[in-house]
Amino acid sequence: MPNQGVTLTTQILTEACQCVESQLGGAKDGRWKTALTYYRPALREASASGDLPRELLGVALHDQLGSYYFLLRAHRLILQADSSMQALMDKLQSYKPRVVLNFEGFQYRLGDFQVRVGKCVPSSEVLRGIMMEVEYLPLSSIEKSRQILEDFFDIWQDTVKKRSLPGHFILVEPNFADYGLQDHYTPQHTAVQYATCMTQLMAAVRN
Amino acid sequence: MQQPHVAVSGATPPQDPPDSSGATTEAPPKQVALAMDRLARAARLIADIRLGADHLLEALFLATNTPHHSNKTIELIRKEEASMRQHFQDLRALGKQLEDSGVLNGSLKSRGNSWGLHMPLVCPDGAVVAYAWKRQLAGQAGASAVDRTRLALKAFTDQKRRFFPHLEDEPFGHSHDGEFGVAKKQRTSQGLVTSHIEELNEVKTLSDILTDLENKVPNMKIFTYQRLDWLKRASLLSSSANENPVDPSKEQSMHNPNKLRSGSVNAVAVDKVAVIELLVPSVFRAVVSLHSAGSINPDAVAFFSPDEGGNYVHSRGLSVHYIFRRVTEHADKALQYFLSVDANTSLSLLLHWIYSYQTLFTKVCSKCGHLLMMDKSLALLLPPVRRPYRQTCTTNFNQSQLTPSAKVQNVDLNSAYHIGCSDEV
Repeated sequence: MPNQGVTLTTQILTEACQCVESQLGGAKDGRWKTALTYYRPALREASASGDLPRELLGVALHDQLGSYYFLLRAHRLILQADSSMQALMDKLQSYKPRVVLNFEGFQYRLGDFQVRVGKCVPSSEVLRGIMMEVEYLPLSSIEKSRQILEDFFDIWQDTVKKRSLPGHFILVEPNFADYGLQDHYTPQHTAVQYATCMTQLMAAVRN
Repeated sequence: MQQPHVAVSGATPPQDPPDSSGATTEAPPKQVALAMDRLARAARLIADIRLGADHLLEALFLATNTPHHSNKTIELIRKEEASMRQHFQDLRALGKQLEDSGVLNGSLKSRGNSWGLHMPLVCPDGAVVAYAWKRQLAGQAGASAVDRTRLALKAFTDQKRRFFPHLEDEPFGHSHDGEFGVAKKQRTSQGLVTSHIEELNEVKTLSDILTDLENKVPNMKIFTYQRLDWLKRASLLSSSANENPVDPSKEQSMHNPNKLRSGSVNAVAVDKVAVIELLVPSVFRAVVSLHSAGSINPDAVAFFSPDEGGNYVHSRGLSVHYIFRRVTEHADKALQYFLSVDANTSLSLLLHWIYSYQTLFTKVCSKCGHLLMMDKSLALLLPPVRRPYRQTCTTNFNQSQLTPSAKVQNVDLNSAYHIGCSDEV
């Protein structure tokens, strides 16, 4: 989250990456890219929009190349589909992509943690935000790993504070139960997290 | 060219088999043996040729030094030339034979694992055998002593079972590879005589220990396996790790109907128990192996993530995750300590100590008060992975004063430390 009136620059991203690398001793593991697409229904007549959802979210996760995730935020629904669904959407033209947000950056390995730091760039190429995804590999229970991840976030905050970046990181905590998801972590959880992250970012940009 | 040490055909005189042209009709092992035999002969011929060349040179040298003996040297040279020519002819014929049998050209390679065998086989003790089928390995001269002993024991027990069915099988005999349980039996009976357990004057059996433990650990699941059953289970774990387990206990009861259920201990099964699995769902899985099946002697322990699966998940394996590696390392020391203090209580203490790790991801360090901390020397972020295992000195001297009903639990199981925060090395 950037401070008021500050434009995000790639410099901040580099600083963040450096934090991960030098302070925490992360080893660079490669690049990653996740794309989030806002779909709007393509309507012939404006009046027929009655019970159609106004907005459909599509998420292509970097480590799930064979799947595509659809979210209806208003209805708290998530669906996992095959990645060929995107081609199908193009052909059907029932929902058109309005905005595409690309999250991309580097991923690092810090012992048992896998950290992805990246920028959020819409198609207009203006940097909108910087996000970080942290995964604790030994566990797959959300409940059991909660404290560990919170502690990690605290340590991260301390590390970043020393760099005095013009902004601060906010922990995104979506309500998985709303979407009917269980304690065992799955890629669907990740998709929900990206969607929630997106909402927060949009809200912050508007303010 | 070094002569391969052929166990099969080393001593036989070289003789061409009459049906060398029909080599393809022979069994593959014979073909291999023939091929090796021919290679050996080729090596000898090459050595002879070398020797012949030396003789020729020697003859020429003589000729230059003693010109008046020219007739003799000419004879020598002629003789040598004849024998060399013969050697070369023999070598050529041998080469042709080898070529025909497919040894020298790439035809074998193109046929893949030709003749269905890996050849020649180098045994664990270094000897080379022309062929081997796994089951017959021990029959070959190249089999190691362990293999031969194992097969001899198996043959003996099979015969014993067949001809003396009224004699009972030894409980430690054959479920553990190559081990003889007699020595262990001796030790346990010694333990019976000299035990100094504070709470009870008897050595607990394995089933006692396990049922005791089950009553004390509400959220830890305990399963027991025979040695081979555990390996099967470990492989199954990896295949189900990718799916989404709804209920780990349900999943396990599907895969392992042999597990001991609390309360009803099957006497026969206990004798064969060699692996104990301790699972705290979503936290860790610990694997303890017993030295001889059915004994109370733990010999190795390892910790893993509850999602890990595969052939490496056993008591001497290592987790892929750093945290569990550190815990395993610490557990090794704890195990050695428990064994050194009192072998009879070591299993019980070990299992209770393992249970203290259910708070691995929630308990803060008793020294610094944090959960996650960067370990400077390892450059890893870890929670407190150390749980103390040493008993305090004072309690050891109080044995005579403790009443029979006093608890043995003098290890402080309520504290936890980061690697950097703990006092031990």
